[in-house]
Amino acid sequence: MLPAMTSHPIDLDTLRHGARLAGFAWSDAELEEIRPQVEIALRLLRALEAIPVGDTGPTTHYRTV
Amino acid sequence: MTELARLIATKAVSPVEVVRVHLDRIAAHDKDLRSYITICADGALAAARQAEAALMAGRPLGPLHGVPYGLKDLYDTAGIATTGGSKILADRVPSTDATVTRRLAEAGAILLGKLNMVEFAYGPEGLNPHYGHARNPWDGATHRLTGGSSSGSGAAVAAGLAPGALGSDTGGSIRIPASLCGITGLKPTYGRVSRAGVLPLAWSMDHVGPMTRTAADAALMLTAMAGYDAADASSSVLPVPDYRVALTGDVKGLRVGLLRGFFLDAATPEVRSGVEAAARALAAAGAVVDEVSLAQITNAAPAVLAIIGSEALAYHADTLRARAADYDPEVARRLKVAAFITGRHYVHAQQVRGLIRADVDAALARRDVLLAPTTPMPAPALDERQVTLGDGPSPVRPALIRFTQPFNLSGHPVCSLPCGFTAGGLPVGMQIVGRPFDEATVLRAADAFQRLTHFHARRPVLG
Repeated sequence: MLPAMTSHPIDLDTLRHGARLAGFAWSDAELEEIRPQVEIALRLLRALEAIPVGDTGPTTHYRTV
Repeated sequence: MTELARLIATKAVSPVEVVRVHLDRIAAHDKDLRSYITICADGALAAARQAEAALMAGRPLGPLHGVPYGLKDLYDTAGIATTGGSKILADRVPSTDATVTRRLAEAGAILLGKLNMVEFAYGPEGLNPHYGHARNPWDGATHRLTGGSSSGSGAAVAAGLAPGALGSDTGGSIRIPASLCGITGLKPTYGRVSRAGVLPLAWSMDHVGPMTRTAADAALMLTAMAGYDAADASSSVLPVPDYRVALTGDVKGLRVGLLRGFFLDAATPEVRSGVEAAARALAAAGAVVDEVSLAQITNAAPAVLAIIGSEALAYHADTLRARAADYDPEVARRLKVAAFITGRHYVHAQQVRGLIRADVDAALARRDVLLAPTTPMPAPALDERQVTLGDGPSPVRPALIRFTQPFNLSGHPVCSLPCGFTAGGLPVGMQIVGRPFDEATVLRAADAFQRLTHFHARRPVLG
């Protein structure tokens, strides 16, 4: 995770960096447009990281024999 | 569909007559409802004539012989456009059918058309700026949400523009429109029904299933659709029962867990009282009802965000780079936000998925089914941005998926069915959750409830 992405509110540099890492060359205007939603998402993702999962394995499916 | 299949098989009605009636209803009402993207009038009538000829010649008939239905417009149909509700795929015409499209055709079903949906199934409200917002048929005065993403399927079945349909469900997209439109919708167990030839939203969360007026109709469609398919890596080889046989109408001794806390406490008073009354009706019929809470359930929302966002962006990344302006702006925004989800988030979310699944499994260890509201509120108006729930105000979008998304994570089978109406005449939906691959018990409970009540038989008055 990007260190700066744990802070709130998120700044434009961090948005640029995050988008670039994900392979997108969005303009500053495009990034400004999604900034409020990114902040909401990052709050939820911080809540996700705080959920203790112990040694639970990451799985997706029921075992389909 | 069950009754139509019987009437057709006994030659009481002609499949041509049945298809014509539905095409006439579509012509009369779909300008307002916007439930169809493509209407296959010529193909449906040709198939109906063939079905009639087969019937008169005494040839063997499938269980859905001559019965029309609609397909959410993300199921591939050979020679018929499959748009995913998008402008981007507006001219995409597949050369082959999705596995379930083929299986329904083999069972004798006749395709009426392709149904409206949220673009690429990414949203629960049911809105589509390209093909028009499907309209909830229960309120002719106020334009209300159908729910989505299977918006056209919900509206068409509720309004009698199709006796049944298929939807898909990644965070609730079968069950939410079923609830808001007052019909029955089944999300089968993950792996029970093939998704080959169905446009994906998020591979590890996508389920496909029937949207019908009754649980008996859902059982009829599921029996024809379910089963192993080598073309879908998640497909189960477990044998498929005839789900119609499970519909005994008997719930004596059925152990039902009423989900309190996260579910009933957050529902509006009318929704809560509808579900509680349903629990009492099942208890009066002999079910053993107790109350249960799921400790991990509040962790579902962030895990769903990480998983659906990551998988949806993986599918759309190249198109988003090339044609961002051609997406519904809301869908494009959701995809762009997903670029900020990391691999670590995704893996953590899959671990949380394991916790939630274990939680639901534990609740079902001593119970046959769980009972909860499908949506916390009835259909909001199109322009409503915020709703007041039992535990306070909430934006509409997270409110719609709040009770459904945990079971996309867990993969359990769930049937949504109407359990009442508000004072204003809007349907209230409840969901019945079962053990993995035990759709038979889920459908038995739903069917038994529908034999005890008449909510599923009520029809909207169309303008």
